[in-house]
Amino acid sequence: MEAIERRIEKLRAEVRRATASGDRVRARAMRAELREAEHVWDEALAALEEKSATASSAPVSRSGPLLPIREQVHQALTVLGTPAAQRLIIAVHDAFFGSPLAAARLTSLRRDEERSFRAAPYSRPYYLCAALTADLLAPARGLLAVSTWPMERRVIGPLSPRVNYLEAAIRVAESLLRAPEPGPAAQRLLRRFAVNIPGAGDGAKPRDPQRVAAAARAELEVHSGEDRAVRSEAAARARIQLHDAEQLFGSRIRVIPRTGTGA
Amino acid sequence: MTTEARLDRIRGAVPPRNHNARTIAALTSNPGCARRAIMDAAGVDKQRLAACAGFPAPFGQSQFAITRGNAFEAQVKANGCAELLRLLREGLGLPIPEVSYDDLEEVAGNTSRELRHARTRSLLARAAASGADAGTLFDHPLLRLAVAGQQVYLEPDLIAFQLHGQFHVVEMKSFAVIDGQADGDKVAAAATQSAVYVLALRELLAGEGYGPDSVSHEAVLVCPENFSNAPVATLVDVRKQLTVLRRQLSRLERIDSLAELLPPGLTFDLMIDEAGVAFRPAAELTEAIRTVPARYVPECLASCEMCYFCRDEARGTTAALGRDVRDDLGAVETVSAVLGLADGTLTPADEQAEAAAMLQAAARLRRETPGGAA
Repeated sequence: MEAIERRIEKLRAEVRRATASGDRVRARAMRAELREAEHVWDEALAALEEKSATASSAPVSRSGPLLPIREQVHQALTVLGTPAAQRLIIAVHDAFFGSPLAAARLTSLRRDEERSFRAAPYSRPYYLCAALTADLLAPARGLLAVSTWPMERRVIGPLSPRVNYLEAAIRVAESLLRAPEPGPAAQRLLRRFAVNIPGAGDGAKPRDPQRVAAAARAELEVHSGEDRAVRSEAAARARIQLHDAEQLFGSRIRVIPRTGTGA
Repeated sequence: MTTEARLDRIRGAVPPRNHNARTIAALTSNPGCARRAIMDAAGVDKQRLAACAGFPAPFGQSQFAITRGNAFEAQVKANGCAELLRLLREGLGLPIPEVSYDDLEEVAGNTSRELRHARTRSLLARAAASGADAGTLFDHPLLRLAVAGQQVYLEPDLIAFQLHGQFHVVEMKSFAVIDGQADGDKVAAAATQSAVYVLALRELLAGEGYGPDSVSHEAVLVCPENFSNAPVATLVDVRKQLTVLRRQLSRLERIDSLAELLPPGLTFDLMIDEAGVAFRPAAELTEAIRTVPARYVPECLASCEMCYFCRDEARGTTAALGRDVRDDLGAVETVSAVLGLADGTLTPADEQAEAAAMLQAAARLRRETPGGAA
């Protein structure tokens, strides 16, 4: 825009000189050019206004702090598709849904959800629940899951933390490909995944979501078979041995050991 | 009275403070101090004790440093130790299929030490037995080590297995490695602490029938790199620290014999009421503490919370001035005696004759130098 403004200045000076020297033809020509330059400047200004307007209104138009915390966590977990820890949930929400979640409000969430469930079971369409460890069916430390997911997705075997991480990377990469204009937070999130996945590219340039997803899938193949076996066995056991509340929030007092012939 | 009961009485009506690798490392650096040995064995809160006796300790870990350390550890261990796996794979050749992660911080919500230790033992034994695919990362395992005749519970940050078939201790520290170099003292301290864990791990596996080679003598030290929070991992050889540690642990007098020498009614109880205020009179407490002999050296200032108390007690003795002075002037106990011998006002005893001659020569040199004695 500065270039246009400089040109306008120059043209104004030309017009003045031409008028002063009595050269009417030249003055008229210069004035026409001046008018055109000013028109271009107006258009540029309008475009600038629009851009700043969208930038400032974008976060407000998305789901801001108006949604209750459990809904925001649910949104983030739905993107991830696997049980996740507090930090990852906050990062995902920040990347795809605008306003960042306050970490302090998440710490008591699982306990509050459990209390709400025990008070009135199944009265809500979904609950934010725990992920259960495969061997003891106890709540895994620090993880949140969604109650509507199948049991297999809500148990954690020894390989599951890595498997979940890779699956989350794939989901984040795919969401980035779908999103019209992913912001810097989303790019940062993808980058943090890519750094820890072999073959997902390197260097400082923005990561290619396709490549990250492909690399994650490649490593996933190594682990997924065994992980799935452990998880389905644990899920079957949980469905038989635990009652409803325990299936969602884990069994704490009774330690249920593996009774099968696990190695 | 059994040693256990006696130590409980000394400690008073509060739960014992846990040992950790840092305190064990410090303990082995001053094995001759009975006061510290008794207090650590009984699990006394030395910081509180020193403050009550009127000599608050000059240090403790700053809350800021603790928070930063926790934050760094949480970052490295997030998402099934994603960042740590990258470091182990890139830097130390951990094969891709080995990513299994077991959390030993609690057992089904229960954090009792016996339970956690039992579970740690069973999981590590299973990993050692089946080799290939039975566990790579064990988070917050609970180990045990025999120190001065007592079993002490220890908690390293992490143990990585199957790095070429051996267990490795992984320690996360928040001091930085800048351009490939870190603060020498801090690395040495980290190495000693890792050696304590290696020793404890070897003891655990020995109990399951595995030789010491099942645990590598190289510990993995994870620190932030340069000026960012990005972690970097290095292997630290702790063989030297292991030798020193083993030797000093064996020299630590068994607590039984130490405790027997103490008066039976001895207690360091601070008489803390419900509000948390300590009511034990300082003079009485000081007298009680002094019944247990200490061995103050200037190094205590960096490692023990009782340092100001013991330094005050040792004031005026040559031993408090450091090892060099003690070696040179062994037979002369007090500073006033040293000065007396130097200017000839004190007649030396037989064993002090040599020291006296040296002191008189030094005093003469001092008088004769240009500028004179200040």
